[in-house]
Amino acid sequence: MRHVAQRPAIEHPKPLTEPVLLILMSLAAQPRHGYALIKDIEALSRHRVRLSTGTLYGALRRLLDDGWIERFEQEDRSRDKQAYRLSSEGRRQLKLELNRFRELSRAGYARLRVGEA
Amino acid sequence: MGAIFRALLYLYPRRHRELLGAEMQTVFEQGAREHRLLGPFQYVRFVLLEVGGLVLHAAIAQFANATHRGYLESQVHGNLAPPQDLPEEVIEAQNRVAVNLNQLLMAISHHQFVQARFYKNEERKARENLRQMQEKYGIGGPQLLR
Repeated sequence: MRHVAQRPAIEHPKPLTEPVLLILMSLAAQPRHGYALIKDIEALSRHRVRLSTGTLYGALRRLLDDGWIERFEQEDRSRDKQAYRLSSEGRRQLKLELNRFRELSRAGYARLRVGEA
Repeated sequence: MGAIFRALLYLYPRRHRELLGAEMQTVFEQGAREHRLLGPFQYVRFVLLEVGGLVLHAAIAQFANATHRGYLESQVHGNLAPPQDLPEEVIEAQNRVAVNLNQLLMAISHHQFVQARFYKNEERKARENLRQMQEKYGIGGPQLLR
């Protein structure tokens, strides 16, 4: 007997959006709170990307819903209380995306070499 | 400016606002403080971008919230009849609806609204097919799939 499809483990069939990728990259090194994420992403992108509050929290909400990040209370209460960290699933998805970039980059350089030969 | 930002947060769905509203307000105020020191031009630019981003993402959140509540939570996981005792064709039809709903939700959560429209159409066709199957076998009715 076949069963009704359960919600599948979320694989992202399409590339991640830039804010989502940058958030995952920023959280890969250490947990951060909202404003620290904005500042780190600004530095990470060499001041090319500055996420607005709406963009940041729209992406964070989706990542929380998908279980790619977790929200927790920081012990240091002198700073913002809530912080975010990457879940194991988020780490896995980030690796998948970075591998995809690596393959794409390899293919791009190969084409360049062919064109220059 | 903080009061305007706080008022704009009411554009978000209630659950989002309750979960993240206070944090968003804090982040905005930290950014505003920093940009005020950079001069009036930078400050106005910051405020315009923040307000624009907030309105846009509130609209997206409302859309996703309405679609999410109406579909996946209540229907795929709640209202579909259990598979046992159902004819194979009905189970197939249910599966098609469920798969299209998952794809629709995924597209919305990634802001891919062209794909979302496509899956919405597919989901509508799948739902119509399921309704016909229910009629054919004389089962389900409104409680099987709204």
